[in-house]
Amino acid sequence: MRRRGLIALGLVLIALALFARQCFDRRHQLEPLPVVPDSAETSVRSATVWFASPEGDSLVPEPRDLPEQADLHARLAALVAALEQGPRGDGARTLPEGTSLLHAYLDETGLLTLDLSLAFRQGFQGGARVEELVVGSLVRTVSANVPEAKRIRIVCGGAAFSSLGGHFPLDRPLDPDDWP
Amino acid sequence: MRRALAACLAGVVGLTPARPAAAQPADAATVAADSARVPAGLGVPSIAVSEVDGVTVVGANDLARLLGAARSWRADVRKLVLVSGDHRLTFTEGNPFVIADDRTFRLAHAAFSRAGELQISVDLARVLPDDSGWPRLAFDAHAGELRAAPADGYVGSPSVDVRAGTTQLWIPTDHPEQARVIGRGRARFRIRMRGAFAGTLPDSLPDDGLLRDLDVKSSPGGLTFELAVDPAATGWQFERAPNGDAVSLLLVHGVNALDPFAPEPPPGARSLRTVVLDPGHGGADNGVESDGVLEKTLTLDLARVLADELKRRTGARVTLTRTDDRDLGQLGRAELVNRPDPDLVISLHFGMSTDPRARGGAAWCAPAAVPAAVFDAPGLPTDRSGNAGLFELLPWRGAATSHAVVSRALAEDVSAALERQGFGPMSVHERLPMALLGVTAPGVLLECGTLSNAAERARLLAPNGLRVLATAIADGLIAWQRGE
Repeated sequence: MRRRGLIALGLVLIALALFARQCFDRRHQLEPLPVVPDSAETSVRSATVWFASPEGDSLVPEPRDLPEQADLHARLAALVAALEQGPRGDGARTLPEGTSLLHAYLDETGLLTLDLSLAFRQGFQGGARVEELVVGSLVRTVSANVPEAKRIRIVCGGAAFSSLGGHFPLDRPLDPDDWP
Repeated sequence: MRRALAACLAGVVGLTPARPAAAQPADAATVAADSARVPAGLGVPSIAVSEVDGVTVVGANDLARLLGAARSWRADVRKLVLVSGDHRLTFTEGNPFVIADDRTFRLAHAAFSRAGELQISVDLARVLPDDSGWPRLAFDAHAGELRAAPADGYVGSPSVDVRAGTTQLWIPTDHPEQARVIGRGRARFRIRMRGAFAGTLPDSLPDDGLLRDLDVKSSPGGLTFELAVDPAATGWQFERAPNGDAVSLLLVHGVNALDPFAPEPPPGARSLRTVVLDPGHGGADNGVESDGVLEKTLTLDLARVLADELKRRTGARVTLTRTDDRDLGQLGRAELVNRPDPDLVISLHFGMSTDPRARGGAAWCAPAAVPAAVFDAPGLPTDRSGNAGLFELLPWRGAATSHAVVSRALAEDVSAALERQGFGPMSVHERLPMALLGVTAPGVLLECGTLSNAAERARLLAPNGLRVLATAIADGLIAWQRGE
């Protein structure tokens, strides 16, 4: 008798569950979930940016989450901005304050031209070691995150220049392999 | 009965367990087979795994980094989408299914959230097929890591053959076309390669061969093999293996037809008859400035003191590129340096840092780069480095690279002398500086100290400060002259 009661109770519960699911489904048919496209604007990508070590004698990597951008200029602008903001951990900022990307152009040979704001040249202070770290952090950060850039030419305010601080030439494209 | 009923109800209403099920222990053979899919090695991308409620997982952020993917979180449906190129991987919180483009695979455990980050079972390495368009993954339980096959492939174990007076180094690689020689000095012969190193170096090198040492280091974007070549070697040839799965470096003795090493003088004492000192900056270019001290002024003062010191101790003829406050310009500077045909040139500089604790200096010399072209020209006279028969076409600006080996020795001797006198720490770098563009003599750019460091500045500005510094530099030059 008790067993029959349990079976009956079970059947009732199953019926209730089926009814509840039908109602649930109908409500969802009436009120469909909003479709949120997983657009590029909501995506992030891990990048590696390079800053000067606390001792100022080498470069150290720091992971960053940057907005995923399909546009080359936006990708590079985000990298330059991350460098300009400086490290969150130990280390030292390399790019002069106020440095930003004005334009970027990648040709069919993989030559990437980075046109930086005048603050890059005007705000630079330092000797040969600092100059090497500034250029190295920029070249290494760009080549690590924009692999299609095979060589990098740095110009400033739309004009080529011979050197940042007078110690290392910048009048020719730089090979990332020479800045390990 | 109650359990059966609960299961029945759960099935009807489509509930899934919120907590992941316990992991099944993997047998040793499976683990070994899994990890062998992506061999470990220098430069192989990997992330650490963690154990949560008995499930081995990786964080989605780390996974995205490992796969080089952008990640997008759809909070409304609790989905994480990883995107790389045309490929997408979709994970859903509380769900064991992973969607790779248009295919669905079931993981052993559902993805779950922990501290706001989705945790993915390392079972992903097993279920993701090789043709998915994603890097091949492997879970290594012993190392506690999930590895991804390197995008540029692997570099294997080098091997060395010695026969008939030649030594041949073979390095297997997936991309021989991306390998190149970046340094051709016998003591520091360097080969840059793409990929990760999954091999081992030989325990020993043949005694009768021309290779004395072999090492490999990881560098951004690949590997650098660093070799020490026997001084008896006279030429080298670097090429792809015929079957395209390796590169080979042939080292020969007594044959001049191959590529030459960076010129180096015979061991022993060196000539030091003419020295050019180049006080850095000048004119409108002040160089660095710290607490009212201008670099251009200090370099000129140091050059004068050093010139006196060198004349007195070596009898050398010493000239300065400038004796007053003016900007020479790069071309003018190179012309002034080259005019007396010097035995060496030192460009004097000081540094500065935003960190007041930074101290010491550094020396830069030309790298032993491979010239643009090398021609066999038996009629040419022997140069003063003792190299004959080969004519190297060097771009004008890179002329100093033909003195790379002897310049490196100069940089090391001067740096060591400065450290001995307490001006360190010093470091030596191989990068062609502006001051040596177009210079046809051995030379270094010497950053003698850090002006932003109060103690160093005070030492330099003390009554005998520049004299002590000049003495240390002269010590280094004399050590270089002796070939020590």
